[in-house]
Amino acid sequence: MKPLLIALGFAVSGLVYGQVLTDGDEIVAQANLAAYYAGKDSRSEARMIIIDARGREQRRQFTVLRRNLEAGGDQQFLVSFSRPSDVRGTVYLVNKHVGRDDDRWLYLPGLDLVKRISAGDERTSFVGAHYFYEDVSGRGPAEDTHELIATTDQHYVLKHVPKNPAQVEFVSYVTWIDRQTFLANRIEYTNTSGKLYRRVEALETREIDGYPTVVSSRTSDLTNGGYTDMRFRYIAYDLGMPAAVFTQRSLRNPPRQWLKRPDAE
Amino acid sequence: MKQQTIQLAIRRPRIIYALMILLTVLLGGQIARISIDTDPENMLSAHQPERVFHNLVEERFGLHDAIVVGLVNKTDPAGIYNVASLSALHQLSGKILTLEGVVESDVMSLAVADNITQAQNGALRFEWMMKEAPVTAGQVQRVAQMVARLPLLTNTLVSADGKAAAIYVPITSKDLSYPLSIEINTLAESLGADGDAWYITGLPVAEDTFGVEMFIQMGISAPLAGLMIFLLLWFFFRSVRLIIAPMVVAMVTIFATMGVMIGLGFTVHIMSSMIPIFLMPIAIVDSVHIMSEFTDDYAPGKDPKAVISGVVEQLFTPMLFTSLTSATGFASLLLTPIPPVQVFGAVVACGILLAFVLTILFIPAYVVRMPVASLEKLGKQPVTDEIDTPLAKFLRRGGSFAFANGKLIAVLTLLVFAAGVAGVMQIQINDNPVRWFKQDHRIRLADRVLNEHFAGTYDAFFVLEYENSAAISKFRQQAEALLTREELTAGSAGLQALINAAAVDPGGYYGRIIAAADDALFAARDDTALALEALLEITESYQLAAKYFQRPDSLAMIEGLQQALMDSGRVGKTNALPDVVKVVNRELHTGDEEHYRVPHTVPAVAETLLQFQSSHRPQDLWHMVTPDLQSTAIWVQLTSGDNQDMSRVMDSLDKYLIENPLPAGVTARWAGKTFINVVWQRTMVAGMLKSLLGAFIVVLLMMALLFRSVLFGLLAMLPLSATILTVYGLIGWTGKYYDMPVAVLSSLTLGLSVDFAIHFIQRMRSLYEQTGSFAETARLIFEAPSRAITRNAIVIALGFTPLLLAPLLPYVTVGVFMASIMVISGVATLVLLPAMLSLSRAVLFRSSGKVR
Repeated sequence: MKPLLIALGFAVSGLVYGQVLTDGDEIVAQANLAAYYAGKDSRSEARMIIIDARGREQRRQFTVLRRNLEAGGDQQFLVSFSRPSDVRGTVYLVNKHVGRDDDRWLYLPGLDLVKRISAGDERTSFVGAHYFYEDVSGRGPAEDTHELIATTDQHYVLKHVPKNPAQVEFVSYVTWIDRQTFLANRIEYTNTSGKLYRRVEALETREIDGYPTVVSSRTSDLTNGGYTDMRFRYIAYDLGMPAAVFTQRSLRNPPRQWLKRPDAE
Repeated sequence: MKQQTIQLAIRRPRIIYALMILLTVLLGGQIARISIDTDPENMLSAHQPERVFHNLVEERFGLHDAIVVGLVNKTDPAGIYNVASLSALHQLSGKILTLEGVVESDVMSLAVADNITQAQNGALRFEWMMKEAPVTAGQVQRVAQMVARLPLLTNTLVSADGKAAAIYVPITSKDLSYPLSIEINTLAESLGADGDAWYITGLPVAEDTFGVEMFIQMGISAPLAGLMIFLLLWFFFRSVRLIIAPMVVAMVTIFATMGVMIGLGFTVHIMSSMIPIFLMPIAIVDSVHIMSEFTDDYAPGKDPKAVISGVVEQLFTPMLFTSLTSATGFASLLLTPIPPVQVFGAVVACGILLAFVLTILFIPAYVVRMPVASLEKLGKQPVTDEIDTPLAKFLRRGGSFAFANGKLIAVLTLLVFAAGVAGVMQIQINDNPVRWFKQDHRIRLADRVLNEHFAGTYDAFFVLEYENSAAISKFRQQAEALLTREELTAGSAGLQALINAAAVDPGGYYGRIIAAADDALFAARDDTALALEALLEITESYQLAAKYFQRPDSLAMIEGLQQALMDSGRVGKTNALPDVVKVVNRELHTGDEEHYRVPHTVPAVAETLLQFQSSHRPQDLWHMVTPDLQSTAIWVQLTSGDNQDMSRVMDSLDKYLIENPLPAGVTARWAGKTFINVVWQRTMVAGMLKSLLGAFIVVLLMMALLFRSVLFGLLAMLPLSATILTVYGLIGWTGKYYDMPVAVLSSLTLGLSVDFAIHFIQRMRSLYEQTGSFAETARLIFEAPSRAITRNAIVIALGFTPLLLAPLLPYVTVGVFMASIMVISGVATLVLLPAMLSLSRAVLFRSSGKVR
């Protein structure tokens, strides 16, 4: 299985502490849990700063609600945009499935339109950022083969090769997975010309509610320059969000109770 | 001084030889440091506002020069829509992506195009148009259907008739376009189905290829012309030994002059690559005068030193003046505000003066060192007046005719002048670097074929900018007012700094303030929170207002401009922001044509743009609009790169803008290579006229000074005026475009066509001084002096015929001009001048005879 860092959550199973793993698949399975399945559910606010090769800046701000149906299995996401103000109220609803295509819906308040988004490939840009849709929701570990190529004091270093190369733009990628937290600290992608063209890296990791969490990360376009910084704040886990939050009803009627920023203490 | 120079040459030939060798080695050696520049953009100074803006636009919208690769299938009824052709296109695209120097992410091809469409259940779908080459007819069909739905691709990536497909290959640096085009051509050759043909064009390829071939021509045409001149000289002088001398003068002049130019750090541009071609005839002309007179005067038994010094002395003044006038003609190019033209003019002017000095020094030094036997051979030809060659006989008869029929010739001349002026009035000013190649050149062919199929391989950009500087200061005022309220003063230093920061990038500026205020809000309570919310609200409203080009009304304005561009009749297609918005809007709705329109509200447009950015190629958006949505570019495709066509598009849009002025705060300017070519051509045409007039006046003054007579001065200008009017009149009558090479040749015309007149008048006057008889003068002038003029005219005119074979039209133009200048100014001098002199002899030869 495999990781994509970032993440909307994460977690580490305390059981593997201290052990040295040698099986790539197992490391990836752990990393997948750490990056995307922390807690039963979570709420966080993301702010993305998209910097292009010319240094010009765009921002996006959105709140992510996530609920696991099963650890390492199906999940639900609700992503609601608050800024820039001209796209405020745009909402994505995702039912992530393991082993089959996700179900995705989009609500566009300006056009007053609920639109289903076709599965297609998930390596499209996430709202103009250098992150892909797949980086945000997680790439299924079963989509690649994994090989542990090195174990350092700090990291497991793995090389991943896609099982269906026609669906992706890379030939392979390498991840550096923290041996303590199982969060990927760095991912580097190589394209058909054999060139390193893309990097995702964790800039800051914090423990929140007992879960190591990547709170700041960066994805860089190594060919053209330009990168996106993504920062998560006001993160909370295990809120006990009901399934009703993740229904199509929430597209037009966002669940304010859960989207609202918690009060500062 | 004159005497001393000649004596130095005759007495100390070895010093002269040493000097020549030194010049060649020291200065010629600099040629090794050559650096080549083939970019016509450099026709404009780096500070020229249009060029600065063009570069700014390329940077702002991430635009690169692009090679256009075309695939045309003539046999398949479905055109390129067949498995084999699309596979070939796919394969070549893949290979191109791996080439060094290609801007991978901006390559445009079906193979890397993204498609926005509806999946079965009406779901929005982004998918690669042709991630893998199609293998079934069904897949091919699907690609064809998809392309037809995407106006941004139709006629750009696939021709409307489906016969042709294109790959746009943006490159990191335009001097890579030639090597890359060759590489792509090699890759393409092995690919394709039956009936497939590949074509490669694009302005950068044309320009870079021109540069490469131009240097090949410099190595072929100039030496070939040299060889031809050598053969012609041999025909006239029958002494290889003698005619080596002018060739040496020409060579040393060219090497030294090019060496100085390169040594001073000037790049060798399209213009300056022509310097050898221009210097060669000029360097040879003077030598031919000397040799012609010398062989006529010399007879066995005579002292060669005495003969040569007599000849040189006699020719010194006219040669000095012909050199000065030619140099003036070229130096006048300094008045044309085009840097490479200025360098060219200045360098050729210096080269001409150097050629004069070298001729005066080297030819005598060389002649006196010739073995007596060789000289005797020359002398075996009969002495001056008894020469009886057909040329000599012809000249004698012609001369007496001209002197006898002044009135007839004057009338004829007036007719020629009138016809010339009428022709000049019809001159069509036009240029297009692709036209610098001959009709059958592969670049011309590719250009023709691809522009027949597509909306055009020539690009221009009409760039709109919105600026509302008042908004920022108004915002600052309002924000300050909020910040100074009690509740906010504490802890607002960060916000304060952000508000006062320079707002170079309005997108980033408001965004940072919003983020900071939003963060502050987290910990804020009660009144502070309310104040921060107020600040957020006004900041967001200013941010929204700043995003000018996502307003539906501004998109409608752009659509109006697009329509106006199409209405000019010269534009193949425009691509702009509204096209993107309309396609996305259509697909977000049902995919039906009724939704192919710009939505009515700002948030709705913003949402379409956000969705476009959720595709595989979000970066494509930023070629059309800046992320702050304050500047947008309409990409205009033209099927012709002719400056006339681009000018017409500009004029027609100007008219539209008078009736439909841009909204307040919006400014518009052109950019793009096709536009830049128009700018430098306009600058060039205006500058050349100034140069020509300036040089004409200076030469007139020099003539008056030389002959100490305004009348003689005016007379000397007659053959020159006749030549210019005839040559440019013919250009007008034949409809040949007045382009860059033709413009530059005006200085050559002026500089060279006065030469013969100077020789003729100067010799007339000195003969009259010697003989005191007009009749005798009239007879003698048609002996040696006229033969020298005629030989020169023939040598130079024929000497440049090898240029006619060059594949590059500017070289052909130079060859034709050189011949025309020589023939017309020769005829004008030998016919018009005697006619006018005989008509005005009473005035002109009354006082001047015997006086000096």
